[in-house]
Formats: sequence, C-alpha cells, structure tokens
Amino acid sequence: MTTTGSFIVPNLISKNQSQLNNVGSESGKHRPETGQDVRVGNVTAALAVANIVKTSLGPVGLDKMLVDDIGDVLITNDGATILKSLEVEHPAARVLVDLANLQDQEVGDGTTSVVIIAAELLRRGNDLVKNGIHPTTIISGYRSALKAAVSYIKKEMVVNVSELGDEHLINAAKTSMSSKIIGKESEYFSKLAVDAVKSVKMNATAADVAGYDAMGSGGGGDAEAPPAETTSPDGGTAAVSKKQRYKYPLSAIHILKAHGKSSMESHLIDGGFAINAMRAAQGMPTFVESTVDQPVVKIAMLDMNLQRHRMGMGVQVIVKDPAEIENIKKREMDITKERIRKIIDAGARVVLTTKGVDDLCMKYFVEAGIICARRCNREDLKRLAKATGGKVVTTMADMEGNETFDADSLGGCDSVREVRIGDGEMLYVYGCKGHGASTIVLRGANEYMLDEMDRALHDSLCVVKRMLESNTLVPGGGAAEAALSVYLDDYANTIQSREQMVIQEYADALLVIPKTLAVNAAKDASELVAKLRSVHAKSQHSEDVSDDGLKFLGLDLVEGTIRDNLAAGVVEPAISKIKSLRFATEAAITILRIDDRITLNK
Amino acid sequence: MASAGPHPGMGPVMVLSKLFDSIDALGFRTVIGLGWLGCVTSTSGFEFVDDVGDSKTQRTHGRQAQIGNIAAARAVADIIRSTLGPRSMLKMLLDPMGGIVITNDGNCILREVDVSHPTAKSMIELSRAQDEEVGDGTTSVIILAGEMLINAEPFVRMNVHPTVIVRGYNYALQEALSICEKLALTVDVHDTDRMKALVQSCIGTKFSSRWNDIMIDMALKAVLTVARELPTPSSAPSGGDVGDLYSQKMEVDIKRYAKVEKIPGGEIADCAVLSGVMFNKDVTHSKMRRRIENPRILLLDTPLEYKKGESQTNVEITDDEDWNTLLKMEEEYVENMCMEIIAFKPDIVITEKGVSDLAQHYFAKANITAFRRLRKTDNNRVARATGATIVSRTDEIRESDIGTGCGLFEMRKIGEEYFAFFEECKDPKACTIILRGGSKDVLNEIERNLTDAMQVVRNVVFDPRLLPGGGATEMAVSVGLRKAGLKSEGVQQGPFLAVGEAMEVIPRTLAQNCGVSVIRTVTQLRAKHAAAYEEAEKEHGEGAFPKCNWGIDGITGQLVDMEEFGIWEPFSVKIQTIKTAVESACMILRIDDIVFGSKKKGY
Repeated sequence: MTTTGSFIVPNLISKNQSQLNNVGSESGKHRPETGQDVRVGNVTAALAVANIVKTSLGPVGLDKMLVDDIGDVLITNDGATILKSLEVEHPAARVLVDLANLQDQEVGDGTTSVVIIAAELLRRGNDLVKNGIHPTTIISGYRSALKAAVSYIKKEMVVNVSELGDEHLINAAKTSMSSKIIGKESEYFSKLAVDAVKSVKMNATAADVAGYDAMGSGGGGDAEAPPAETTSPDGGTAAVSKKQRYKYPLSAIHILKAHGKSSMESHLIDGGFAINAMRAAQGMPTFVESTVDQPVVKIAMLDMNLQRHRMGMGVQVIVKDPAEIENIKKREMDITKERIRKIIDAGARVVLTTKGVDDLCMKYFVEAGIICARRCNREDLKRLAKATGGKVVTTMADMEGNETFDADSLGGCDSVREVRIGDGEMLYVYGCKGHGASTIVLRGANEYMLDEMDRALHDSLCVVKRMLESNTLVPGGGAAEAALSVYLDDYANTIQSREQMVIQEYADALLVIPKTLAVNAAKDASELVAKLRSVHAKSQHSEDVSDDGLKFLGLDLVEGTIRDNLAAGVVEPAISKIKSLRFATEAAITILRIDDRITLNK
Repeated sequence: MASAGPHPGMGPVMVLSKLFDSIDALGFRTVIGLGWLGCVTSTSGFEFVDDVGDSKTQRTHGRQAQIGNIAAARAVADIIRSTLGPRSMLKMLLDPMGGIVITNDGNCILREVDVSHPTAKSMIELSRAQDEEVGDGTTSVIILAGEMLINAEPFVRMNVHPTVIVRGYNYALQEALSICEKLALTVDVHDTDRMKALVQSCIGTKFSSRWNDIMIDMALKAVLTVARELPTPSSAPSGGDVGDLYSQKMEVDIKRYAKVEKIPGGEIADCAVLSGVMFNKDVTHSKMRRRIENPRILLLDTPLEYKKGESQTNVEITDDEDWNTLLKMEEEYVENMCMEIIAFKPDIVITEKGVSDLAQHYFAKANITAFRRLRKTDNNRVARATGATIVSRTDEIRESDIGTGCGLFEMRKIGEEYFAFFEECKDPKACTIILRGGSKDVLNEIERNLTDAMQVVRNVVFDPRLLPGGGATEMAVSVGLRKAGLKSEGVQQGPFLAVGEAMEVIPRTLAQNCGVSVIRTVTQLRAKHAAAYEEAEKEHGEGAFPKCNWGIDGITGQLVDMEEFGIWEPFSVKIQTIKTAVESACMILRIDDIVFGSKKKGY
C-alpha cells in the first residue's frame, strides 16, 4: 500500500473509517466492553459456572455425567473435575475454573464449595457496585472480612486434636467422601484412606515443617496476607511444631483400578505395591517369598533393554575377516546374557523392566526361578523403587567402563506374587522394605465408577493428610460458615466506614454453603439457616459457658435438623476451610477489579 | 429432548434451582439455575452455553436427566430380555462389514450393539465386567440393573431424593447378600454328578443344549486338566485385607491353557477334549515321520536359520576366498545348531521361528520331525502338556529340557488341513478342545457356550458354594427383602422394598420366555416362598430362615423344587450379579446432570 499516487489516499481513509465502524458495530452488539457491563458479564459467567457445580455439594449432592465429543463418559461429583471437563471460554468463568484447580492442588478437597463461595461473593459485590459503592471499597471490605474470618476460625472454631485419634481422621475422611459415590460405603473407605495415609508416614525434614507452618498460619501463595495472621493466637500449632513432625507423601499411595467385583472388595495392600504387569514367560514362578537364607526378596528395577545388544544408530562395524562377523553375533547375545547373569548374581529374584526382554533371555530367568516382567510403567517402577528402597537402573556401566550391577540398587520386599484380578494379572509386592508405600486396589462395576472412586478417594486421602499434618479440625455441615456469618455481622457493626456494608454482605455470602446444602437435600433452607444462625448467635453472645458448645452446631441433612456436628463426626481440616475462604475471596477480588475487557485481535 | 418451561412437580434438584432463583435478586437470573435444555437463553442477552462453554455443549438437567437415564437402561435391558433362560432365543447381529454374529450371550450382543446414550454405554460396560470377572450371568446382570432403575422411577417421580433411594438400595444389597449366604449350599468339586447338573443349568440356555452331555463333560474335563495347585506360601503377608487373595491356592488358567480349536465340518458329537494338545501345523518336510510313540520333544523359540546380528555390520571382502568362507560360515552356523540339537536325540523339534531348508535336511536325515513358526501361546501349551522347557539357545539344551510326557504324536488330516496331535500325555496341565460343527457361526456360538461352561466350573473350583437357579434365589431374596423391609423404618423403606420387587424380574422373565402365564406363575412362586417363611417361623420362632428352593422350570414353566430338579448356579456368579446390578443402578441414579460435548477428559 505504499505506492504513490493521490488516488489511493481516499481509499485508505475509507478503509480506516470502515474499520472504525466495525469497532463500533461490535460494541453495538451484546459484547460488553467497559464499566458495569463488563462486570455484570463477568459475574453472570461466574454464577453460571457455580450453578453447574452447585447441585453436587454436600452429602445429598448428585453427580454429573459428562459426555465428550467422542462419546466418552465421565461421571463425577468433584467440582474441579466437572469444571475442568467443561469447555469454559469466558475469561471470568475461567478464573473460577482455575480457582477450583488451585484448591484441588493445594488442598485436594472442597473444590465445589470454593467455587460457590466465590460466585456468591461476586454476586453480592456486583449488587454493591450497582448501589454505588466503589469496587475498591468492596475489595478492601472483603479483605478485612476475610482477615477477621480467618482469625475467628483459628481462635474459636478450631478444635485442636493434639494426639489425633483415628476416630477423628476417619470422621474427616467420611465427611469428605460423604458427597461422593463411595459415600454409602464411607465406613469402609474412610478406614481404608486413613490406613493408607498412615502407612506412608515419614519423618519430615525441617523444610517440610516450615512449609506446614506457613500453610497453617497464612502464607501459601497468599502474599498479601497481613503479617498479623502469622502470629495469630494459635498456640496449638506452635507447640506441635516443636515435636517431631511427620509427613505423609500421598504420591507413595498407589491407586490401581481393576473393574469387576464390587466396590466393597477394594482393598489396601499395607506396605505393599501392586504393579500392572504380568510374568513375561509362563515358565516363571507365580510366587517368590523370603526364605531363611534369603530373608529379603530382592527386586531389580531396570529402565533398559534386555534385548540382544545392538550398536547405537549410525554405528557401523566394518570387519575384514568374515569369521569376525560370527563373533560379533555371538557377542551380541553374550552381552545381554552377561548382564542378566550379573543381575541374577546380585541376588535379584524379581526383575522388572520398562523396556523389552528378549525371548532368548527368558530362559535364564525361568531357570533361576525369577519373576521377570517387561514393559512396566516407568512411573510405577520409580515409585516401587522408592517403596522398596532400591533404584531404577538405567545403565550397568560403571566409572571404569565395565559393566557391573550394584547390589545396592536392588529393592527389598517380603514376597512377590502374581494375582489374577478380573481377566488380567497383576504383580503384588508385599512388605516393601524401603520408605512406606501402599497400594489401594479399587474394584467396581465399571470404568466410570472406578474413575469416580479414584477421584473421591484422592480427595479423602488429601483430607486425612492435611489433618495429620496440621492437627486441627473444624466442624463441617455449614457450622463454620454459619458461625462466621454471625461473627462477621457483629464485626461489621464495629466498623464505621463504608466497608461495614461490604462486610455484612460477606457475612451473608458465607451462608450460601448451608443454604445450598439444605436446598440440595430438599429441605427448607430458609428455616434451617435461620435456626442455625440463631444458635450460633446465642453461642457467641451468651456469657454462659454451657452455650459454648453451640458453636459446633451444623446441619443434619438427612433429618433436616440441627445437631452438634463435632459430636456427629462431620469434620473438616481447618486448613481446608481457611484456604477455601482465602482462595474464594482472592478470586472474587480479582474479578471485581476488572472494569474493562478488550478483545485483542491478532 | 427436554421440554422448555416449568415442569409440574419438580424434583429435589429443581427445587434447588427454584429456591435459588427466588433468593436471587438479579435481573438476569433466568440464565442460571434453570438449566433445562432449551431454556438456556438468558434475558440479558448472554447465552449460558456461549458464555461458559462451547456452543456445542448440551445439557440435560434434573428430572429430565434422571428419567432419561432410566429410559436408556430400560432400553438396554429390553434388548436382551428374551435371551434369558432355557427357552431363550438367539439374536442375529450384522456388523457394518457385513459379518454376522448369532448368539444369545448377553455380553456378546451388547458389545455389538452401537449405542450413543452414555447411560446405555455404562450399562454395557457392566456386562463386560461381569464377563471378565466370572464369565457368566451377563444377561441377568443387565436385566437386573435395568429393573433396579425402572423400579426407582416412581420414587424419582415422587420426589424422593436420589441419595435416599441409593441408601435404601444399599441396605437392601447387604440384606440380599446375607440371604444368599444363608441359602448357599457347598458342593464337592469332585462330585461329578453334582458338577454336571450345575454346568447343565448354566449352559442349558444356550444353543448347544442339545449336546449338553458332551459339552458338560468337555468343560469339566478341560477345567480339571488345567487346574493346578499353587505353591502354598509359608508366611502370611502383613495387612489383613489381602488374606483372600493369599488363600487362592488353585490356579485355573482357562484362557491360556485350555485352547479351543474350531474346525468346521464333521458334527457336534465329534467334539472332544484331548488329553494333550493339538495345533494346526504340518511338518516342515514331507519325509519326516508322521506318527511317533513316546516321542522326545524339544521346544525352541529361536530360529533355526542364519540370522544376522542386531548391530549393523559390514564386511569388506577383498579376496574371493573370503566370500566363500562367508557363505560357508552361514552353513556351518546352521549345521552347528542342528548338531547340537541332534546330540540330544529328540524325535520332535518345535520352534516358534523359522527353520531353514538346510536345517530341515539335517533333521530329516536324523529322523527328527520338525515344526516351525508355532505361536508362543501354543508352544507354552505344548510345554505344559509334555513337560518340556522352551529353550532359547541351542548350545544350552539340557536333558531336563526335553519333554517326554507325551504318549503319542500323530499327524492327522481333517478336512483339507493337517493337524499335529500330541495325545495320551501323562498328567497334562494343558489341553486342546476340538470343536466340530456345521458352520463357522455354529462353531463360534458353541465356543462361547463352552467358555461360559468352563468359567462356571472354574468359579466353583474357587468357591464351591452353590445357589438354586431357575429364579429360586431371586425369589427367596425378594421375599426375604420384603420381610426385612417392612420392619425397617424411615424413608428408605420404599427403595428397600423396590429392590426386592426388582429381584422378581428374573423369575418373571423366565416365565415370560417360556410362555406361561407370568402373573400366575410368579404369584404362585411368591406364595410358596412366603409360606416357607411362615412355616419356619412357626417352627423356629421369629427371624428363622427357611431354605426354600422352589423355582421355575424354564422349559415347562412349572414350579419345581430346585433341590430335586438339580438346577444350581455358582454362588460367586449370583453374588457378583446382584452386587454389580445394585451398584451400577446407584451410580446412574446419582446423576442429575448430563453435559454433552465436554472436553476430552484429562487431568
């Protein structure tokens, strides 16, 4: 367009004009661009997202069935999974989806409630803006409400369970799985989850401990948290942190899914590991166990080929003497044979490799009575290595250029057995000698059910882990939210600025959790929530010590009444509650701050 | 699919949206909450679907979704309803390629049916899981699961919350299982008559029922052949939950060691289980011996021909003499291998890989019969039947690797093809089942029936408990549940009773398929069971459990005592059927929202 000539100029101008017109017409359409429009748009989108997951909240929440383009089905109750699978395009809605993911990663449970709270905060914030309150006021109001809420939870709601009995852990696990598909068998699965987490107990390093303390008292990705929180009156955590702390790496818990049988036949292999692989040759034993002279069954984990040795790509061997070629061939076979010999001599009685094993080599294993499995999953092997105290060996070359197999890299266990599950086989490794590891073998009617059980169990494992690490819990079933709502209402009255209204709205917004719970259970939400608020108000305002216990009152969704949820065993880790409040508030603030949306054209 | 607008009497979930709407003070609230398909457009110009998701996304929500799911389950159950019982009919299925399948195997039918409804798919999965786990009862599980859902429909319409229904179903499941435990009868695996009767009742429904005696004998023989005691572990592992897996002392690997060979032609009466193995291969060289008594068998999985090395090797030949040496070397290599083999004086050499002409020559000269390119699985079977070990390098052959367990080797020609028979094996732990029949379709169906029969035997070998067949167990559970249900309090009573009613679908379908008056027969049967209860209570007081084995004779439709009639089914199959049916029904009932066109799942 750089050609000279005056006649082009008007052309250019008219083109520019039409482009301007385009912009105009675009904004003339329903695309919100600035100010209130964009805020309403964002809030609407966020609400729409929250509404999708709303019905899955609580013990009487229901599941969603998601069908993708290919027709694959996903049945789930997990907020994060639902949102992840939906194709959410609206940018503000995406913030909520990311929020659920964040909660999933950080806490592992409470993904639904975090989205619901955030959406409610947004809705109320938007109303306030409509009533002429500046978003920055709302934001600062939300912030101070959050601060007050968190410190109230820590001061009043938290129950310190210094020596956590199994009962509380099981209760927490039960609470988290009550809304899930395994809720009806929570008795069984909660015990399974607790046992699994406990079986992977490890001594925590100093850095880990610092991490928990940061998590327990603020920190955790929330840079703007005021320092006052870190020194909150939280004697319990401080006292505990002086003791030996443990960590519970969930990655050491291996969940294996095999369809068939019923969910109640799922089981935990305590201190064991199951790997989805079968013996490479039928001549191998199905079972090896420790004997008197070999107290430990040694496992070799390899990440290399036990096939006939071959030169790397592009390497050409040129020989003059034809007899040499025969030697090369023989040598190829012998290299692998020697390798196997070394592995066997090192004492391995089980050999697992991620790569292939030549049929030629099977015989050596068969003769030595060794179980050998090929094409194992590399991730599984790494975990197994950790569990058995061995190493995954990628090469046998040593510093001198010779080939050796280091006996130290062998893992140890009590016994290994091939077990027929459904139509396939699995190798069960019992009594791993290394760091703890456990495997949960899930059984269920079909794949969809197994997947959902896996997700539900993962949430529960996270909850148990958090409980064990932080030693604190709060009552569930809307108790914490109702108490906070009452408390914040009072707190708002002590504030003389505009933020008062905002904090009041924040207080009301928290009630969305008990309300949704009640509505999902098809109970009278208004009445129940009113009752709940009134008992919490009584507990907070009364001087009478006997009323103190009232603060643990929450909803009983089956009966449609109010009960002491702490006694009823509906409990959640305190961290989960605090984090979900924090994440929800931050997300709401992020979206409320937006007053302009510009779509960039490339 | 969904009708727009308010629906009279909304389900609990819809109550939620309703309430929320009333709480909601926003002007654009219609966007949310009412997620009915078709009324997703909002008042303020945003489209729900467009805003949050892709425009392809479709949602079915609340009652609509639940009713839709139930309808889908009913449809699936209806497809195979007529294939239950001895009076069942076959289905002919045409696949897109034009091939046909004629079967009445529930799993087989459903696998071929192309469904798009996600719930229907999930139902079909059930049948597959059942097939893999126990190998029988694939039809019953679908019918039962479908009926569980159909019986839940009134509750869904009555606004009973799905979680309440699910809870009731689960209580009922526990009760049903305990009833089955009480009703179970332990059988001795080696009691041939009992076992025969058992298998008879399982494959009685199938196409091959005319040759039942042969089928049953075959199934029994095959399974007992491949059953192998596992070495008993001396120490129990830590962790209590694995106990049952540890106690698994028997290994019955039908899939690998009882091979079914289908040879079209002949007649069904010619079917047999070999006390040994057979495969479809001819000897490599026509001069080799075709009948050997007490052969020494050597199994190899290495090629008996010259093979280049894996590494890329080039030879630069400058001398014509070298070229000759090279050729000679190749020959010598093969000769060496053959000599190493011949040194052990085997009568038969079988390899999974190729045998070169030169090697054949040496073998023929040494009076050795050779086979090449045998499948790995076949080779394993020969190894187990004859006691040979598969050798991978010829220089490592040992005397112990040679198999001597076989009594007679013979090549036989059946139809146009040659088959190698290894028969009269001493204590074979693997076998081949030869099926003969008119056409491929017939053979395929017989194979499916035989597999079912073998699975049944296997299940009984593992768990020797039996339950009466012919709908007797189901009716006993149904009557038992009714008794227990009336005593239970709370909202879940209704669903609890519904499970009992759903169990009646099996006797009902049996009666229906043999054409007698369904209502009369089922009512009579129910009365029989109820009377047994009363009698037991009169004699032993409250809570006594009668062992009532009355059921329906699936051929005549008459009521018979299964104890006398001798129709039994393995405990594990029945239990698995009931468990799977209830669990999957629960899963489907819990769904209140179906979203089509979501992203490919990923974590």
